[in-house]
Amino acid sequence: MPILLRSLRFIDSEKTHSPKDYVIVDHQVLPRENSNIDSFDEEIDCSNFLASEGWVDLRCASGEPGEEQRETIESLGELLANSGFAKAVVMPNAKPVFQNKNDVQFFLSKTANWLTEPILQAALTKDALGEDFTDILDLNQQGINVFGDGVSPLSNPDRLMKALQYLKKFDGILFDQSYDPMLAIFGQMHEGIVSTRLGMKGIPNLAEDVCVQRNVEICKYTGGRLHFQTLSSAASINSIRKAKSEGLSVTADVSLYQLLFTDEDLVSFDTNYKVVPPFRSKEDRTALIEGLKDGTIDAIVSNHQPMEFDAKHMEFDLAQPGMIGLQTFLPGMVKLSEELGWPLLISKITSGPKSVLGLEPTASFGSLTIFDPKEQWAYNKKSNLSLSANHPWIGSQLQGKVKMIFNKGKLAKF
Amino acid sequence: MSQLSSRHLLGIKDITSDDIQLIFETADNFKEVLNRPIKKVPSLRDITIANIFFENSTRTKLSFELAEKRLSADVVNFSSSNSSVKKGETLIDTVNNILSMKVDMVVMRHSSPGAPHFLSRNIKANIVNAGDGTHEHPTQALLDAFSIREKLGDVAGKKVAIIGDILHSRVALSNIFCLQKLGAEVMVCGPVTLLPKHIDSLGVIVEHDVQCALAWCDVANILRIQLERQQIKYFPSLREYSLYYGVNKKMLDTLDKEIVIMHPGPINRGVELNSDVADSEHSIILHQVENGVAIRMAVLYLLAGVR
Repeated sequence: MPILLRSLRFIDSEKTHSPKDYVIVDHQVLPRENSNIDSFDEEIDCSNFLASEGWVDLRCASGEPGEEQRETIESLGELLANSGFAKAVVMPNAKPVFQNKNDVQFFLSKTANWLTEPILQAALTKDALGEDFTDILDLNQQGINVFGDGVSPLSNPDRLMKALQYLKKFDGILFDQSYDPMLAIFGQMHEGIVSTRLGMKGIPNLAEDVCVQRNVEICKYTGGRLHFQTLSSAASINSIRKAKSEGLSVTADVSLYQLLFTDEDLVSFDTNYKVVPPFRSKEDRTALIEGLKDGTIDAIVSNHQPMEFDAKHMEFDLAQPGMIGLQTFLPGMVKLSEELGWPLLISKITSGPKSVLGLEPTASFGSLTIFDPKEQWAYNKKSNLSLSANHPWIGSQLQGKVKMIFNKGKLAKF
Repeated sequence: MSQLSSRHLLGIKDITSDDIQLIFETADNFKEVLNRPIKKVPSLRDITIANIFFENSTRTKLSFELAEKRLSADVVNFSSSNSSVKKGETLIDTVNNILSMKVDMVVMRHSSPGAPHFLSRNIKANIVNAGDGTHEHPTQALLDAFSIREKLGDVAGKKVAIIGDILHSRVALSNIFCLQKLGAEVMVCGPVTLLPKHIDSLGVIVEHDVQCALAWCDVANILRIQLERQQIKYFPSLREYSLYYGVNKKMLDTLDKEIVIMHPGPINRGVELNSDVADSEHSIILHQVENGVAIRMAVLYLLAGVR
């Protein structure tokens, strides 16, 4: 199936390269000059497109089983491929949570036809309640290497400590969205000037700051691999920065939408903006940007959390937190591209998350995401591929469209 | 200007000082009406108003109902305890059911901040916020400022201390916005745990000593301890609160000036306010209640004008 991609501008973490021809052959993408193929089954003009190694998302959710009205595993797979992701870590928070061999088999069978390579984050504790461990070694035998309780923080420090120790046997990675639920109790949004004006109970930065700091110390004590998910506060970025400078094996990610919105977007009580961690202040956003630039933050994640209409269409304090974020991922990146530049952004969804997962960089790629950063498209109920529509951009004109993805030896065009 | 800038009254934050002045001038006229032998005017004849209260209320509901009846509106009432309203669909469904009966205006109290804003995006009727959780209670702030204006001649330049449970109070926020829009200086006073951490960002003076607050102010608006909204402990005991944050006559006697005492009610007598102050000549608490009807008449009348 040799395919020729003509005049493609390839982006890596260093730069956006000049237009060049690439060849897709034998499950690999190669510069044309490195291949000796002269005849192609197909030639595609890519002169308007940018491309990179296939993207990696470290955090997304489906609703299946249990809440299929939000997202099925099938619809999530379609979304991931259409949004340019070649690999994706799926959180365990279904009903029941993914926590045993049968659950893993169910997930693998349901994702067998995905173009995206699925990576299951199995629950670390039973029912993701933060108490009793799941059968971790048994799950590892099923190929699971990433553990965590997904949207539930592992708030018991003893559990976190023992988990880090236990996972060392097979270099397992612990994913945690670290915050102290008691310091966030009854909170609806970021605690700050806006929450004061809205009379809303706030979630202080402190809830994240103390927990990240504590968990870094626990990681220092135990060793092990700890990955901090969806950081949102300036002080927690500093904690990770310091931990990395001390050589600890910690990594971190941030939700793309934390870089696009702040607490000021909540003034109209729009429940689409209700997320965990909450959208924080402009100062926190600036710290996140700095963290991305200096390498403190390794990855940008979609944090795709679908919620059906009835879970959002209500009073703010009763609405479920969460926002979808896959189809809007590239348009969000386009909005940030002027501030951060494509090479940095692309590194946070390719080499960055791959290193979090312990995947070595390779000279040739088995995946490719091709996108048009200028194409305008209407994001509405018709074009939305998710079963949920909990995103404030629904009804807007967006810029940036994924055109093709090559993964698992297949090329899909959109 | 003879019309409000908004078709809803969702909060003081959303209206202008011109709106407030217009409401006051209109309320002046209605107050005169309320003192006539025949206290009713036909201004809102053919207008149907639904009072929808998802939280307990006695005086606010009564005050709105009286205002509506004085304006000759048709009135329907719906009350539901908070425990039976767990989902937003219930709010939407309840209100839609009532609106399908051709209701023109909705007066709503709800425990969720922003509930009237949510409603305003989903229904066509004019909405008056009669209190949304810990967010705003705009008509209370209007009647408070109106009462200060009536007692002291003007609100501009006056020093108003809001004392008590600021964190759980919708009255506090609306009062701060309203008083500042009218040119008053505002202080908040209470235990640190009952003040929002970033309250100073609203441009208010923050004080923790009640005696100092009383010495500073021209008007002390004492707020009720909102025990029903405190899901966790914020101070050791009511006894300690009343000893250190309650206002009594002895404290007022030490001042070298007379200050005005206000309270939005209902009063926890002996907790935040002693009877020797609540019932004293300093207190304008009952004037607030009386002015509440005139203010609510003004708001309903003016909103009907921008329908």
